[in-house]
Amino acid sequence: MTSLPSDFLGRVFFILQRYGMSYLRGAGTTLLISLISTLFGCIIGFGVGVVQYLPIEERLPWWKRWLLVLAKGLLKIYVEVFRGTPMMVQSMFIYYGASQLMGINMSMWFAAFFIVSINTGAYMAETVRGGLLSIDNGQTEGALAVGMSPIRAMNYVLIPQALRNIMPQIGNNLIINIKDTCVLSVIGTVELFFASKSVAGTYYTYFESMAIAMVLYLTMTIVASKLLRLWEKKMDGPSSYDLATTDTLAFTSGLLTMAPAKKKERRD
Amino acid sequence: MEPILQITHLKKDFGSHQVLSDIDFSVNQGDVVSIIGASGSGKSTLLRCINLLESPTSGDIRFHGESVLDSSIDVPAYRAKVGMVFQSFNLFDNMNVLENCMISPVKILKVPKAEARDRAMMYLDKVGMTSFINAKPRYLSGGQKQRVAIARALAIQPEVLLFDEPTSALDPQMVGEVLDVIGDLAKEGRTMVIVTHEMTFARDVSNRIIFMDEGVICEEGAPEKIFNQPVKDATKAFLQRFWNR
Ligand SMILES: Nc1ncnc2c1ncn2[C@@H]1O[C@H](COP(=O)(O)OP(=O)(O)O)[C@@H](O)[C@H]1O
Ligand SMILES: [Mg+2]
Repeated sequence: MTSLPSDFLGRVFFILQRYGMSYLRGAGTTLLISLISTLFGCIIGFGVGVVQYLPIEERLPWWKRWLLVLAKGLLKIYVEVFRGTPMMVQSMFIYYGASQLMGINMSMWFAAFFIVSINTGAYMAETVRGGLLSIDNGQTEGALAVGMSPIRAMNYVLIPQALRNIMPQIGNNLIINIKDTCVLSVIGTVELFFASKSVAGTYYTYFESMAIAMVLYLTMTIVASKLLRLWEKKMDGPSSYDLATTDTLAFTSGLLTMAPAKKKERRD
Repeated sequence: MEPILQITHLKKDFGSHQVLSDIDFSVNQGDVVSIIGASGSGKSTLLRCINLLESPTSGDIRFHGESVLDSSIDVPAYRAKVGMVFQSFNLFDNMNVLENCMISPVKILKVPKAEARDRAMMYLDKVGMTSFINAKPRYLSGGQKQRVAIARALAIQPEVLLFDEPTSALDPQMVGEVLDVIGDLAKEGRTMVIVTHEMTFARDVSNRIIFMDEGVICEEGAPEKIFNQPVKDATKAFLQRFWNR
């Protein structure tokens, strides 16, 4: 075994040379799990948040009302349990519990995605409900008035607006997930922290290994938040609008003809 | 001829608060009915009951003779035949002007996209808003928003248009542009029910005026009659207060 350089930077380069690939693979795993799980978590969060948002209306038939009450109750328990316990404990509880109680041997990968997604979902549920509640009631009424069913009003008008409203929180969750996937090391997921720890153990270079991990984590979180900021900007559309030109005004189907635009005179 | 809308013994309570009691009136093809009355007299509630944004406590609303309170009625399909323009515009904030006017025709009424676009452009032209098709509502003035809201309501090609104080949220200099548009629609012979505080406008465009007071129709008739020879004391007092403002 070659001996370790004696200075800090030298040791860092030494480690990177030999184990650079493990770090990258670890970072890749971290990124993969956080991205996919944030996506699934948002889907879960929207599902749960929408149900929690639905009013229990008197005019619904009694069984629908009870079904809604029951669903809301169960989902509330889900949210409380996953927000109220540490993800590290949940990981081991679910991973080992599944095999012991139900004889299911979860693959480590499935367990990893499952745990982070369901955690994110619990956090996102409340965010989504709040995002929906913050939308002016006039939006729903406008949608109903043009003939949308409540479900369509939800799809075309409320959910897109809620999504835009909660983009910053989605970004927050992604960043938290990038950092918190490190707890999955307890079930053997070789993400960035696990990889760094293994390398550290080999040469007893904890400081150097963790310095590399710090830089990699920070790079990922900064890039993620910058990209999300850009996406938010894109969702907002241009910060001004172009007045339409004759080109965009051209009629496409040729079924109707437009009278030449007449100047509107003021009434008063 | 059968009326388009026929409202009989309509009653609406909010809890123990009776907001509408025993409302009766009908709207025929080509009618322009203006509803006037003090704030809180139940005008908005009446319009909202007509397109079922509120469910009436009792009474009946018939559309071409068929009760819309029947549980077998397809409520969204009915609402698409009754356009509504709100005081607060309620344009979809996540869509630009053109999308606002196309979403319902395309997604709900299944009009082919190109045709829906032409239709939207035709109505946007009618309200003088074609150059703003790419703008999101937040970039428009109140008057512009309301004109787009009218185009959006027209784009679903409803049989009746309901207006709930369409100019009350506007700065005074924008009231005219919106009233002009509604006046044009009246000239085209569109069937409309308009809640308004613009008395001159109501007198000029309507063929019938309904004066509401504390949840009942207090007086109803031709504009000349209501404005020049009101019979009821409440109507006289209301108009008196109005002209003396
Ligand atoms: N959702 C509601 N819940 C309880 N009371 C309401 C509701 N909507 C309207 N009201 C009451 O009904 C009355 C009539 O209101 P509204 O129809 O808005 O009158 P107008 O449009 O003539 O000003 C008012 O006293 C108002 O407070
Ligand atoms: Mg009102």
